[in-house]
Amino acid sequence: MRIPLTAAVAAIVVLIHAAALPALYFALSGVVRTSHERLFIDHARTFARMLAEQLELEGPAPAPQRIRDVLDLAILNGDGVYAEYLDDRGSVRSQLGRAGLDMPAQQDFNFNEHGDHVYFLKLPISARGHFAELRVGFDETPTEESIKLALRRMLTILAAYSGVSLLIAALLGLRFSRPIRELQNTSRAIASGDYAKRLQVESRVAELQDLTADLDHMRRTLVGVNELLRSEMIEKERAELRRRELENDLRHRQRLETVGTLAGGIAHEFNNALLPIILFTEAALEDLPGTAPVREDLSRVLGSARRARDVVRKILTFSHKVEGTTLNVVDLAVVVDEALNLFSALAPSSVIVTTECEARSAPVRGDASLLLQMVMNLCVNGYQALGERDGRLTIGLRRVSPAGAQAGSTGAQAELWVRDNGHGMDEATVARIFEPFFTTRGVGQGTGLGLSVVHGIVESCGARIAVETAVAAGTTFHVFFPIVEEAA
Amino acid sequence: MMDVLVIDDEGDVRDALRRVLERAGFHVRVAGTGADALAEIRRAGVDVVVTDIIMPGIGGVETIGTIREEFPGVRIIAISGGGNFGAGAYQPNAITTSAYLAAANRAGAHHVLTKPFDTADLLQAIGQYSAVGHA
Repeated sequence: MRIPLTAAVAAIVVLIHAAALPALYFALSGVVRTSHERLFIDHARTFARMLAEQLELEGPAPAPQRIRDVLDLAILNGDGVYAEYLDDRGSVRSQLGRAGLDMPAQQDFNFNEHGDHVYFLKLPISARGHFAELRVGFDETPTEESIKLALRRMLTILAAYSGVSLLIAALLGLRFSRPIRELQNTSRAIASGDYAKRLQVESRVAELQDLTADLDHMRRTLVGVNELLRSEMIEKERAELRRRELENDLRHRQRLETVGTLAGGIAHEFNNALLPIILFTEAALEDLPGTAPVREDLSRVLGSARRARDVVRKILTFSHKVEGTTLNVVDLAVVVDEALNLFSALAPSSVIVTTECEARSAPVRGDASLLLQMVMNLCVNGYQALGERDGRLTIGLRRVSPAGAQAGSTGAQAELWVRDNGHGMDEATVARIFEPFFTTRGVGQGTGLGLSVVHGIVESCGARIAVETAVAAGTTFHVFFPIVEEAA
Repeated sequence: MMDVLVIDDEGDVRDALRRVLERAGFHVRVAGTGADALAEIRRAGVDVVVTDIIMPGIGGVETIGTIREEFPGVRIIAISGGGNFGAGAYQPNAITTSAYLAAANRAGAHHVLTKPFDTADLLQAIGQYSAVGHA
């Protein structure tokens, strides 16, 4: 069962009144009735006695006319409606209003006895040995009316009192229920996620204040626990993300390493196979007379063998087996400048080549010709991503401070980037771009070695490469080199 | 006529080197292993050694070291084609060809060449050092 607080308080007040008011009414009405009646009776008796005394003063056996005059005067001046003088001579009677009013056999002791609305009294009169009896009647109706009026007033007052009590009860109920409602609204807000909402009520009721304080304490504890849980969850998610990244990175590296190692093994075999081809063919060409028709065939064999050697060298570059390289301190800014000149000369005019070189010098450890090849390969790759349409290619170089550098690195870094606004790549493609012979281009449009060579050069310099791309949004390659301090 | 000893575990490579060196006018002997090569030098001496680095048994670096110790006048040219793999021996921690060549350098080789090279590169390397040797 659900009862609003205001209704509950009102109901309690109503119940109290229902029990108390009738009792109060009966008690009070008794008092009112008794006091009115007693006053009436006292008055009647006093009046009767005074009349009797007056008649006694008239002496024994006064004349009937005299008696009548006294009785008439008394009734006219007083509250009596009936007066009768009885002695051995007979009766003298005077009365007002109702004719034929007769005194009952017994005189009245209580108010409103015998149901005749008249209060009858008998008094003996003795004057010097003459005995008579005085009978007097008083109209009870005015007193009855007064009692009724008083009771009606009392009822009105009690009704007004009940009304006011109910009103006060309702107001009190509202006064108690308002802060409880406030608490309720705040709790609901908190339950629906607004943990910052403070629980507070304006009430002088100690229990309400205590309850509010306890609830707010609970809220603060909940907020704390919630924050803790949330931060733990975020931390966990971060760790998980980091772990997954590392795992992906590791898997990618292992894959590249495996491919690289296998490629290195194959390259070794090829190198050993190519050496006799080249040397024997050169010897044969030397031995043949200048006019021999087979010379051209042999020249072609030699040319193909040398091209094969170049391919193998590229594979070795990818698998970190760069032949005869020595790591010197190279200014990356100079390399970028040179690559830019070279590429601008090679690229068709439809390609807009721009530079964003913030760093005027960036000394890194590497091989100048390999670094040039790396930048050129990135540029060529970007150019090919532009496809048939006109496009923009940007080469940039800047120094990044350790704070802005990628995690896991220390010291200043040089960031080289090559950005194109070409077709971009999807995730599956990005995952494989550094693998040798992986290409998205048609046969004859590329060897699939360009980016794997870039990867090999990057690794051999202790640098790191990152790709930023999305389908139809272009691609940016970022290469981070550790800066070699000038003093070193 | 200058004596050249070619050391390589691959027959085709030995034959090709012998062909171009003989054609260039050298007296050429060949050996398939470091042990055979050392025995041959101890037996008949030699002016120039062209040796592979990655070989079964006594490897190129060790062979170079021994020759330098026993025959300091011999000129040595080291050649290598990369990786320390045989056809089926996969070793993930393979060190680089340049590292092998650097090791050969440290062991005392006078010149290092990466396979495959042209005849001219080889002759230039031998000529350079034989010229120094005969000066």
